[in-house]
Order: sequence, then structure tokens, then C-alpha cells
Amino acid sequence: MAEPRRVPPPAPEAFVSIAGLSLTYGAPGQVLVNALQDIDIAIDKGQFVSLIGPSGCGKSTLLRIIGDLLSPSTGKVLIGGSEPREARLDREIGFVFQDAALLEWRRIRENIALPLELRGTPKAERERKAEELIQLVGLDGFQKAWPRQLSGGMRQRAAIARALSTNPRILLLDEPFGALDQITRDRLNMELARIHEVTGVTVVLVTHSIREAVLLSDRIVVLTPRPGRISRFIDVDLPRPRGLEVRNDERFDDLVRLGNRELEKGYM
Amino acid sequence: MSDTVQKLLRPNGFVDLAWPPVAAFIAIVILWEGLIAVFEIPVYILPSPASIWLAITTNPGPLFGHAGITLYEAVAGFIIGSLMGAVLGTVFAYSKIIARGLLPYVIAANTIPVVAVAPIIIIWFGHGIGSKIAVTAFLSFFPLALNMMKGLQSYDRTIMDVFHIAAANGPQRFFKMRLPSALPYVFVGLKLNVTFSVIGAIVAEFVQADKGLGFVIMTSYRTLAMPRLWAAMLMSALIGIAFFALIALLERIFVPWHASAQDNR
Repeated sequence: MAEPRRVPPPAPEAFVSIAGLSLTYGAPGQVLVNALQDIDIAIDKGQFVSLIGPSGCGKSTLLRIIGDLLSPSTGKVLIGGSEPREARLDREIGFVFQDAALLEWRRIRENIALPLELRGTPKAERERKAEELIQLVGLDGFQKAWPRQLSGGMRQRAAIARALSTNPRILLLDEPFGALDQITRDRLNMELARIHEVTGVTVVLVTHSIREAVLLSDRIVVLTPRPGRISRFIDVDLPRPRGLEVRNDERFDDLVRLGNRELEKGYM
Repeated sequence: MSDTVQKLLRPNGFVDLAWPPVAAFIAIVILWEGLIAVFEIPVYILPSPASIWLAITTNPGPLFGHAGITLYEAVAGFIIGSLMGAVLGTVFAYSKIIARGLLPYVIAANTIPVVAVAPIIIIWFGHGIGSKIAVTAFLSFFPLALNMMKGLQSYDRTIMDVFHIAAANGPQRFFKMRLPSALPYVFVGLKLNVTFSVIGAIVAEFVQADKGLGFVIMTSYRTLAMPRLWAAMLMSALIGIAFFALIALLERIFVPWHASAQDNR
């Protein structure tokens, strides 16, 4: 067990602040697993941050803690000054999972409007918002399609639209494009960059692709293997808006190399 | 009008799909009549299609009356048993303790042959239609209880997370997530119950009744009125088929996402 650690005060200027966060799980009497240790991250409003690390490093776990799907053992997360639970109840969190998790019994438009429906938003406004999001994510013409009729990439677009329906202040994405082919993935990366630019939403993306992280992020947080600790921050100083051609940039390659070196430290 | 005709005639249209079974039916009837004539099979072994047809059409009133009674018992028992099964299945899905306590007995009760239970239920519920409905309800109870429970537990865990992030309350989780996820299972149970409910009604009538198709079958058997017995059997099959078609139609209406998935394959 790590010795108790003084929790540093969260940086007041940061929009999201994660301070002294650790997660240990396991029932009493069992071997305790240290999933995350001493995580301190500050994220500015509108920033795009990626969490990257080897599988099992706890990056998804960290994202789930931010989204109030899990509670940390120690430490604190604040989103715009509120605890994750408050932020969630105020519908300020949008979450996109690796699986699109659409409701097969609802048409695409009703899937996108689901969080609004659960909040009790009137029907006319729900439909207006859903229509706006359908345009934003490029699903025009599929309003009345069933989820099963859509390809994997389109299902993920719908999941992003659904996550944005309540105008959240933070969008959390857990390896959302991991199951997609490279071309679809490139296209959705560009869509995500555009959505981030247009909406100005703060984004935290979990990915295992350093190239994806460099392409999209302002800042990359590299985590070590279990227990997940912060190995280093990489600030991505590539100009915005970025297109896929930024990958031909020398600076892009430098950053990818830097990231890979940092990741490799973990396995060596 | 000619549009409708065109629709019926196109490949995979009604005519295209319907003619092979219709042709087979005609061939079987002709063969059946022929075999009886050639081998002089006595009517109590195998009545001819013509004699069955006569048993239905000469004085059809009583036979259809009996069929109506059986249909009523089957449908009423189906509805009562399915509803009660759905309620218990929901309780099981929400309470692990109750499910663990009662499930073994529910499964055990499900293996009791209906013929063994029917006399007991008739003693309890009397000699009228009510006891036949009760036997049918008894049979319809278990498939729905088990399928409802399984269906309500079958929801996707990530969708549960989506509802959590959206701060959904308990009733919203039930009506907008768990119940819709359960519907395909519910229809599996309902389709089983269609068959069971006709069986339940007729078996109950075997044990004790003065009307219904089971009663007709038993009295025809005692008097060796075989064409009448065959006619009653045919009617019970028709009831089952019509009932099944109705449930299949309801499934298309209430589970359209499944139907559309099949259309797209």
C-alpha cells in the first residue's frame, strides 16, 4: 500500500481538476489491486486531452471516475467546480463508449434524443436538437433508420450525437474508434476535431493510438502500466485546425516518437 | 386494383409462396381418398377427407360452438397465465433473494405433467369454464415467468452506463431499457404459450367437461364417431394456427426492430 499522501489543492484556474486520485479495489481479505495512483491532472476549458497508456493501465478507469461511473479511493475530481456526481445530475457530462450502445428498439433520431427525453425536455425541442446534432455528425437521411441498419462508424456518430444532446460541458470518449477500420477511423477523427472546434466542448479521449492522440489533442497524458501513474504530459503544439495532412509534418513525427518512447519506458 | 394483383403475382409475392403448400395439400387429399378406396380402409381406422368434411359441414353449429368454447378457454387462460407469469418474472429479475428462493420450485412445478394437475385444479375451480381457464393459465404461467426474467436481465451493461450518465430514474430504466430489451424474450414465451394454452384447454376438457373440443373428442372416441373426432382435431389445430398468427403479427408491431433486421438480411 502506498503511504497516505497529502492531497494538493486543485488548481483554481483549471476547468477540470483531478488531484491526488488513487483507486484500489478488491474485497477485504483478497489481494488488493492498485489500479491508479497519485493522479494529478488539470484541464482547461475547451481543451482536448488524451489519456494514453498500455492496456490495463487504468486509463478507462480514470475516465469512468471522471464520468461518475466509478468512485476513487482517494483524491478528488472537480468539473467546473462540481463533483462528478453533481455534474452528471446536471447533465454536464457526455460519455461515448467503445461500443455505440444504441437502443436497438429506437430509431436513430430517438436514440440521439434519449438523454433529453430522460431529462423531460418537451418533444418539439428534443426533435429540434436531435435534428441539429444529426446534421453536426453527418447522419442526415438516417433519422428514421434502425441502429442495426447502420455501419459501425455511423453507429459511433450517433453515439457522439447522443452524448452531445444535453450540451454537456465535458465530453468523455473511451476508445470510441477502437473497433473501426483505419479509413473510417481517420474520417471520424476529423469529425471529432471539427465537433470540438464548433462546440468548444472540453474533451477527454482515451486511446491506445499515439498517432490518434497527437492528431487530435492539445495535451497528452501518458500513463504507466499498473498501477497507472502519470508518466509524463506531452503538449501538442501543432497549429489548429488540423487536417489529416498534419501527419506528414516533421513535428507530428517528433511528437509520435516522443510518445512512443514514453510508452516503451513502461514495458522495458 | 391491378396493382394489388401485380403485387400478389411477383416473385416472392403471395402466389409465388403459397402455391407449393396448396398443391401439396390437394395432392395429399387426393392420395388419401384414393388409398382409402383402393385398400378399403375402415372408417374407424382412417376416415376419408370427404367424410371429415361432411362431419364439419352437416350441422356445423354445435361443432363451431364447441370450438368457440375451447378458443375462449385457451385465450382467457393464455392472457391470465401470461400476465401472472410476467409479474412473477419481473419480481425475480429485480429480487435475487426471491428468485433464489422460489425459482427451484417454479422450475419443478413446470415439470409436472398437465394431466396430473388438471384434476386437482378442476376440484378447486369447479366444473364450469373457470377451471379450464385455470388449467390453461397454469400452463401459460411458467414460460412467461422464465422468459420475462431472462429478458429483463438481458440488457446491455453499456446501455445501463448510458442511462446512468443521463441520470435516468428507476421507472425510466425499466420502461425505456429493460422492458424493451425483454420484449423479444417475452414473445418467445408467448409463442410457447399459444401451443400450451390450446393443449391446456383440451386436456382440462378431457378430464371433465360437457362442452368444448376436448369434450367432442372424448365423446366421439367413446362412440367411435371418427370423422367427428378428426373434425374436432382439425378445428383445434386451426385455433392454434390462427392464435399463433395473431401473436406473430403482434410481434411485428411491438418488436419492429427485429422484423426490420430480418428484412435487411
